[in-house]
This record gives sequence, C-alpha cells and structure tokens, in this order.
Amino acid sequence: MQDHDQADGFDEHAAADGIQLELWKRLLRYALPYKKELVLLGAGGALTALMEIALPLIAKGVVDDVEQNGIDASFGLWAAAYAGANLLLALGGAIFIWMAGKIDAFASHDIRRDAFANLQRLSFSYFDHRPVGWLMARLTADCRKLTDILAWAFLDLVWGTTMMVGIAAAMLVMHWQLALVAMAVMPAVGWLSAKFRKRILTTARLVRSTNSRITGSYNESIMGMTTSKAFVREDANASDFAGLTRTMYRASVRNLVLAAVFLPLVLTLSAIAVNLTLGVGGALLYIGAISAGTLIAFFTLTRTFFEPVHVMGHWFAEMQMAQASAERVLSLIEAEPEIQDSPSVKRALAVQRDAPPRSDIAPDGGAVRITEIELVNVSFAYDPDKPVLREVNLKVGMDETIAIVGPTGGGKSTLVNVICRFYEPTSGQVLIDGIDYRGRSLHWLQSSLGMVLQNAHVFSGTIMDNIRYGRLTASDQEVEWCARLAGAHEFITKMEDGYATEVGENGNRLSAGQKQLVSFARAILAEPQILVMDEATSSVDTETELKIQQGMKHVFQGRISFVIAHRLSTIRNATRIVVVEDGRITETGSHVELMGADGHYASLYRQQGLDETTMRQWDAVGT
Amino acid sequence: MGADDASYCKTNEDTAMQDGRTKTHANLWHITRGQRMRYLSATAATGVSSGFMLLAPLVGMYAIDVIVERDFDKGSPWLVSIARLFDQGDAFLVYLAVSALAGLLLASLSALFMYFRGRWSAIATEAIARRLRDALFHRLHHLPAKFFDEADTGDLVQRCSSDVETVRVFLATNVVEIGRSILLIAAMAPILFWRDARLAALSLCLMPFITVGAYLFFSLVKRQFKVADEAEGKLTAVLQENLTGIRVVRAFARDEHEIARFATCNHAFRDHLYRLNKLEALYWGISDFVSLGQISVVVIAAGIFLAQGTISVGELFAFLTLVSMAIWPVRRLGHVLADSGKAVISLKRINHILEAEVEPASRSPTPFHPGERADGDIVFDHVSADYQPGQPVVVDFSVHIPAGQTVGIVGAPGSGKSTLIRLLMRLYPVSEGRILIDGTDVRDVDGQWLRHQIGVVMQDPFLYSRSIAENLRVARPDADKAHLVEVAQEAAIHDAIADFPAGYEAPVGERGITLSGGQRQRLALARALLKDPPVLVLDDSLSAVDTNTERRILNALAQRRGRHTTVVIAHRLSSVKDADRILVLADGRLVQDGSHAALAATPGPYQRLCEIQGALDQSIRADLGDATAPPSQLTVGR
Repeated sequence: MQDHDQADGFDEHAAADGIQLELWKRLLRYALPYKKELVLLGAGGALTALMEIALPLIAKGVVDDVEQNGIDASFGLWAAAYAGANLLLALGGAIFIWMAGKIDAFASHDIRRDAFANLQRLSFSYFDHRPVGWLMARLTADCRKLTDILAWAFLDLVWGTTMMVGIAAAMLVMHWQLALVAMAVMPAVGWLSAKFRKRILTTARLVRSTNSRITGSYNESIMGMTTSKAFVREDANASDFAGLTRTMYRASVRNLVLAAVFLPLVLTLSAIAVNLTLGVGGALLYIGAISAGTLIAFFTLTRTFFEPVHVMGHWFAEMQMAQASAERVLSLIEAEPEIQDSPSVKRALAVQRDAPPRSDIAPDGGAVRITEIELVNVSFAYDPDKPVLREVNLKVGMDETIAIVGPTGGGKSTLVNVICRFYEPTSGQVLIDGIDYRGRSLHWLQSSLGMVLQNAHVFSGTIMDNIRYGRLTASDQEVEWCARLAGAHEFITKMEDGYATEVGENGNRLSAGQKQLVSFARAILAEPQILVMDEATSSVDTETELKIQQGMKHVFQGRISFVIAHRLSTIRNATRIVVVEDGRITETGSHVELMGADGHYASLYRQQGLDETTMRQWDAVGT
Repeated sequence: MGADDASYCKTNEDTAMQDGRTKTHANLWHITRGQRMRYLSATAATGVSSGFMLLAPLVGMYAIDVIVERDFDKGSPWLVSIARLFDQGDAFLVYLAVSALAGLLLASLSALFMYFRGRWSAIATEAIARRLRDALFHRLHHLPAKFFDEADTGDLVQRCSSDVETVRVFLATNVVEIGRSILLIAAMAPILFWRDARLAALSLCLMPFITVGAYLFFSLVKRQFKVADEAEGKLTAVLQENLTGIRVVRAFARDEHEIARFATCNHAFRDHLYRLNKLEALYWGISDFVSLGQISVVVIAAGIFLAQGTISVGELFAFLTLVSMAIWPVRRLGHVLADSGKAVISLKRINHILEAEVEPASRSPTPFHPGERADGDIVFDHVSADYQPGQPVVVDFSVHIPAGQTVGIVGAPGSGKSTLIRLLMRLYPVSEGRILIDGTDVRDVDGQWLRHQIGVVMQDPFLYSRSIAENLRVARPDADKAHLVEVAQEAAIHDAIADFPAGYEAPVGERGITLSGGQRQRLALARALLKDPPVLVLDDSLSAVDTNTERRILNALAQRRGRHTTVVIAHRLSSVKDADRILVLADGRLVQDGSHAALAATPGPYQRLCEIQGALDQSIRADLGDATAPPSQLTVGR
C-alpha cells in the first residue's frame, strides 16, 4: 500500500497553494481557438449578471411609482420592462450554457486528440514507468475536469465580476452610505471563504486519494481473486479493505461536516449584512432619506451580492485542486519523445514527400531495402550506473537468423530493442547498410519491423482484424496464409466463428499460446525486413511448436531475423547463435562452433545433455 | 460514531456467509437501514431551518410597514412589545433595531439547523456508503470463479466505485434536496395565503409547471445522456486497448491508424456531449424565463394590489423575497427527481453483485473438517466437468494419486490440464463424479481448509502491489526473513531479489519494480513453497524461466520429494520426466498413465512426442561428440 501513498503524496505537492497562472496560460491555448464562443460566453455571462441586477431595480421602480402615483402608476410599462429584462436574462443564460458546453466538449476533445497523438510517438522508455491506468486517468477524468474549469470558471469569472461591480455600483448610486453598510461584512466573507476552502480542500484530497485506493483495491482483488482464494486470503483482504473504508468514512464525514459548517456561517454573515441594511435602511426610510422601493432593492441586492463570492471561491478551490491534473496532462501533451527524427531527417522527409514515389526509395530518401545491420561498440543503460549493454559489436546480413541466448536479465531483450531503435544506444552506433540509423527515418525503420513478444498483445475485435493489423491492406487469403505459416490456422478454424471470432477484451478468450500464434501470424503478414521474436513461442505446446518450425524456416528467408528463445529447436534453426551475458556478447557462432568453443553455451548445453536420460529430457524441452 | 464503526459490518457478513441468496440490499429503502433515524433527524432539521429562513422576510415586512405607516399596529405584536421594553428615545428606531436583531437571530437559528442537517446526513450517507463498499468487497471474495469468468473486470470495478458513488450522491444530496424543496413549499404556502390569498395563488401558479417541466425534460434527455455515456465508454475502451498494446502499435508503426481510430470515438463523444449541452442550454433558457416570469407576476400583481391598497409595501417585499427564495429549490426539484432514476439503476447494478450466488460453502450442513494437515492422497473418480453446458472440458477422468507422489501432466492446450486443478481446489464444480482428498469428497470439507492444503503456482501468477516480502508472506504471515530467503533460494529468485536496492522490501506492481515473466513465476513458486502445502501444483509455472534456472529449481524440488504430493503441468517434458508418473490428456480424457520410461516405450501420444524429437536427439549426440573433436574440423560442420 505504500506505493499508493507515495503517488498520492506527489499530488499533494504539485497542488501547491495559490494559482499558478503560468500553468493555466499554457492550458488556455486549448480554449483560444474558440474565440467566437469565448466572446459570446463572456457576453452571455455579463448580460445575465446585468439583468439580474436590473430586476430588483425594476421592482424598486414599481414600488416607487405606486407610492407616488397610486393606481395611476404605469404598470404596463413596468410589466414590459420586466418581460424584456426577463427575456434578455434567459437568453444570456441559454447562450452562456450553450457556449460553455461547446468549449467544454470541444476543448477536451482537442486535448485528448493531442495527448493521444503524442502518446503514439513517445518512446518505450516513457511507458516503462507509467502504468496504463495512470495514463488513462490523464486522458479521461483529468481532461474533463480541466476543460470544465476552462469553460465554466471563465464564465463565472465574467459573471461574478460583472455582478459584484454592478451591484456595488447600483447600491452606491442609490445611497452610498447605506451601500457601504451593506457591503461591510464583505471582507469577513472573503476571509472565511479562503480559510474554509483551504481546509475543505485538504480533506477533499484525502477523500479522493482514499477513493482511488479503494478502486485500486477492488481492481486488485478481482484480478487476483484466484490467488486470494488459493491462499485463503479472503478475511485478511477484507480486514485490510475495512481499514480503507474506515479512513474513507472518516475523511468524507470530516469533509462534509466542514462544508456543513461553512455554508451556514456564510449565510449568517450575509444575514448580518441584510439585517444591518434593515436597521440602517429602515432608519433612513423613517427620516425620508430613501424610499421603500430603494430599501426593498437594497435587501435583494445585498442578498445576491455574496453569491459571486461564493461561486468564485468555489472555482478558486477547484483550480487549486486541479493544478496537479493540469500539470500532468500538459506534461503528457508536451513530452518530447526521447527518440525522434533528427532535423536533417525531417528535412529529407519533407523533400521526399513532394517527390514522385519510387519503390526503391524510402520516405526519407534512403534505400528501402535493408541488407545489413551492424552494431559498433553499442552500450546502453536505463540508469547511468547500471549499464545493460556494454560495447556490443555484431554484424548481421540478409537471410541471417540470429538466436540470442543467455541468462535472464543478461540484456537480450534490450539488445533487440536497441536494434529496433525503441531505445537508442547511449554510446556506439547501429548502422543500417553503413548508415547510422539515427540518420534514417524512425517511422520507416519501424514500419520495416515485425515483432512477436512473449506477452503477445491481442486487441479486442476479430482474429482476422488482429492478424491484419500487420498489414492493413492484406486480403483474407493472405491473412489465412500467414495464419497457416504461424500454425494458428488449425485452432482458429476450430473456434465457433473461425476467423470472425471475437477475441474479447485484451484477447481474453485466447490462451497465452494462442495469442502468441496470432501475434506471430500478424508479424509474418507485415512482411518485415527485420523480424524480431522475443520468447515468442514460450507458451506454445510442443506439437504446435514443431509444426511452426517448418513455417519459420520459410519466414526467415529474405529477411534479417533475431530470435530470443530458450527452446533448442528454435535456436538450432538459427544461422548464428549469440550468447549475451551481463550485457556483453560473450560467444558467437553456429551451434557446432559454440560447442567447440566450450564456453557458456556448451556448458549450458552439456549440463542438460551429458547423461543420457537428462539429454533426452532436455531435448523434449527444446521441442 | 463509535457504534457505527463496528456494528453494521457484522450482521451483514454473517448473513452473507450463511446464505448466498440472502438479499442484503434489495432497494433504496433497505440500504438506509440503521441510519433512518439520522435521516429523519436531518430532514426534521431541514424543516426547522427552512421555517426560520421563511420567517426572516416577515420581520422585514413588519418593519417596513411600521416605518412606512408610522403605526405600531402594523408591526409584529411580539416585536412591538419587546421594543416597548426599551422605550427610550424614538420608539420606531428601537423597533427597527429589535427587528434587525430578530432577523439575525432567525437567520442564525436557520443556519444552526442547516449545520445539523449537514452533519447528520453526512454521517448517515457515509455510513451507508461504507457498508455498501464493505459488503461488495466481502461478497466479491465469496463469489465462485465462474462469476469472474463471465464478468468484465472494468465493469465490476465500475459497479463498486462509480455506482456506489451515484448512490452516495443521491443519498447525500438528492434525498435532502427533495426533502428541502417539499418542506419549503409546504411551509411557504400557508404564510403566503395567510397574508393574501389572491397574491398567494398568483405567486405559486407557475411553480408546478417549473417542476413538472424540469422532470419531463430530464427524463426525456436521459436517452441522450446514455448515448453520451456509451460514447465515453467506447472512447475509454479504445484508449485502454491502445495503451496496453502500445508496444505492438509502435512495433508495427501503426500510429496513424490508431490516431484515426481514436479520432472517430473522440469525435463521436465530443458531438454527443455538445448535443447534450445544447439541450441543457435550451432547457435552462426556458426554465429561467418561466421562473423569472413567476417573479414578474408577483411584482406586477403586488404593485397593482399595493396601488389598490389591498396589500402593504411590506407584504410586497415579503412575497417578492419568499418567492425568490423558493424558486431555485423548485427548479432543482424536477431535475433531482429525474436524476433519482440513476440511483435506482446504479443500485440494480450493485445488487447484481450483492445478490449473486456465493460459492457453496460445503454440501453438508456440518462440513467435515479433517485434521490440521491433510496427507495429500487425491482421487479423481469418474470426474466430468464443463464451463458451458454441452462443452465438456474434462470427461470421465479417474486417477488415484497417493500421498507424496509426484505426477506430471502433459497434453495439448485446452486438453483440460488446468481445469483438473481448478476442480480439485473447488473453484469450479464437477458436473459428474467426485474428487476425494484423503478419502473425503472435496464438497464435504471446509472450502478454506481445502485450499490451505493446496499450493498452486500458475503460469501467469498474480502478485499483489505490495513489497516482495509481503507477497511471500501471503502464504505464511508469520514467516521470518530467514525463512523467506530459504524458499527464495529454492525457487532461484533470491539473487534477483537481493539485486534490488530495496531487496525484499522492494514494492511490486504498477508503481513498483517491474518483474519479468520468469521472475514472477519464480516468486510465485517461492510463495507456494513457503506455504509448504501437502499438495503442491505447478501449472505450467516455469514456462518463462530459462532452462538453466529451470534445472536448478527442479533439483531443489527433487530435494523435497515425498514431502508434498506434487502435480506438475508442463509443456516442457524436462519438467515432468522425473515424475513418478506422467498423465497424458487429450480432449479432457486421460489417454496415458505411466512412468516416463514406460510411456516412452509404449505406442501412443507420449511416444510420438519423443519420436518427433528423435532426429534432434541424434544431432545433439553428434554435436556432443564433435565438441570433443579438434576445433579445426568444426568450422566446416554447418
């Protein structure tokens, strides 16, 4: 549970006191494209506020007119004035809700669009430390919250300011001394508001963070239900959870009780203002300094005077709370991919875009075909103190299949990720046909890849859709052909709708092995120049794996392939074996060569191979 | 508050334990159980508060009339008599001062009761929400595995979070709001009619339309709300898929395709939301107009009556203020009423979980409870099982595994290997036959006891987002550090753990360290070993471990031989060949049963597996021979 606390602690920090104007300015650029709407929104808000002030003044007019003219007062005129103000107010209201609604919906759409697009180009390293749930929350809840503030806080700012200035002006014009009396408690309301908002904010944060922990707890308990049952953890989990709900209960009650204190206090303060007006205003009426109509108008205006303070205090608190969200969303939109095309590549891409397309020229002007990949003194580290790859040198040509073996954590996956430029070397170079790949287009290189990962990811949708993801234009026949090569055809045709079978959320309806086969078929369909298989058939059963072997030989032709595997059969299909240990290539050569070299590979091999029975066994492992 | 803390959980859990079909939370009324007095008090406080609030304008009304008419008969008799007590200087000014103080007093009293209402309804609501959350969590832990197969995790979590929140908001805000609006009108109408019946009728004439109009509007746009919600759900789903599969997206450079796909949902959601907002704008415009129309009617009519002399200026003020005070809650009422439907729907969704049938605790009313630790003798007696009727997964499976034996199970995916284990653990019911542990049908023993006897390591093991040590201690909460290290070493994971800066205290999971598939499997194995169960099951649980490490683990396990009845399910034959017996499954049936040597010598699927590898065997032998030969010859080899 500590981890959650830490993360929430971060939120606490980010939402520092006060409003960080810089942050909101950056966010404001999402509202600015809707200039016309913003102007109408402001106009609607101001119009509404002005009419709200006008209505009590019309009432005053009626009373004063009646006082002076009795039954001859011009009721028709007043009724018309009332109806007019009324109509304008309703119109202003409708306009601002409409406009705020539009800005809200459109700006949040734009933020999501930009954030999503940026996520698609960010490097792998960005996702290494950011859980999916975290990213999701940024694009959904945070995004809505921010545009909510963007649209409605702006509206209320205009409305509230107009309202307060207008009321103050109206009262000051009618009778400035009484106006000052009526507004006397204003500083107290402001002070109280600020004080309480801060405390309510603190408890609200605790409620929120506890709530997200509760949700996380539900999520974890559902995902780990079998494990919890297997370890008979039901009661232990429930008592942990009860601790959370107890915290939630206490925090929520505290939060609500604070609110329950705050509102009556503000109302009492405004009652002081109203009754001060009654006392002083009544005396003024008594001595004939003001009319009864004026006094009534004062009552109404005084009561409404504090509303904007309230509303603006609310937004102030919301903005403070939302600052952490704003920072996170903006950081997501503005994050620069660690790996991207260099300026010269971008220029080349621009030039090539206008040139007539040629089948032998890549979009960046370089050659389309990849015939050789060379790693020159490549080192890589996620963390400078802990190099994962050290001075790796490797040259691979067309039609070669490199099997990468070695102990877990030795750097095998990192090596392929560097080759595919999902990570760039911290020193050294990766050359594609003699050119550093940083001088080529990233998109072009990655479109030339086919990857099959151990944790094969399958999207919801049909099996057909999933395989076709490799090449969107592929025909049904091509998809089927690749499925056959991948050994997936058999199980697919056994499913109730064949290729049209829906695989469910995250491919839930498929076993781990089946997902790997689908993902293999997808990679074959992509006709990649570079094929990478990272433990790609680890969950596939022995017989199926054997069937795939034939297909694999075919697949490996005409491209450069890297295969990380534990299975001997796969390794033996390789043209060359590379042993990666502790970030270095310690051995390289064919199976036979390596056996002769009598190094790690041979010892690994011999360990399981020397005695007759175990050897048989290990062989079975390999198959 | 102390009493609430403890009392409510008990009854709930007890009933749930006893009978899976108990409807603990049938409807809105039932879930308020235990908090109804508090709700009633909160509502009463609302009424009192509204009453005081409505009296304040009357004080103003009297004061204005007294001053305008210069006549104490127009004032409130009470306030007049109080004012007379301080008969110094100008009596009218004294009356004004008294009125102002009285107004303030009324407002303060109103505020005080408003506080009570807030406090009581907060406690009541939060207690109910807490009870719902605990009950949901509890119930989820007692539902059968089948329930989770059919449910979608996200949806379940949503029921437990958003739906509970909807109910909570309904209880906290809507219930009180409805009470307040009704009480406000109920208290206001008599006051208005008391002062002037005609004006009162005019003051209230549009209110029913405002309420009904709001109710109708929000009921009608419900469908539009639903459409927008669904559009948002779609958007979230696409987003989630993209993010979980982002590596695939990148590996195939499909960013443009994905951006286009997302844009479609993003557009749809934006447009639905906008349409909804436009409808709201239209509604509020009309509603504003009608509400203000109501106030205009009061002002103009009161003006005419004032001119006719049938009402006083003070009364005009009172009507104007009271109607303005009531109009907002009345407008909200229709909205709130329409909104309440949501709470009912949410409650239904919550009830789907609360009313789901829990796992049968045990067939017999007094579950047979054998001694502390089972021996681990297992019998499958003509067992058949299916997840869906008509699609049998295990068919007429019979086998006897004596205590302490090590059994390997091999077979193609979907041949029913893992199902056997789920049946043994009673996570799923058998449809025919029976499974015995130490001679007793598993359906007759205590379910928790049964699972205590079995330690399973799954292929894709689940780890809690806690520290490594805590994850291990799940199996044995009182295990000391030395014990943890011991099992971690047996599972060949100790070195990896020791490499983490925080060692055994390193947090696992989304916000902690990322473990590779193999590391997760080994950690789960260590956890199962720590449990030291009579029956140990490895369900393809070394698939992501490299062969070298696998060998170390198998050697360590060999040391434990005889201590547990061990079932090893595997694709790799290396994992099972040392077993005392190997069971070969095909399409849910047991097709072969014997030792590695025996099966390898008998025609059948197992032998075929070995034969397939014959050629490979040969070459390995050849390679090994070559390895001893001089290197010069080797280079020509392949």
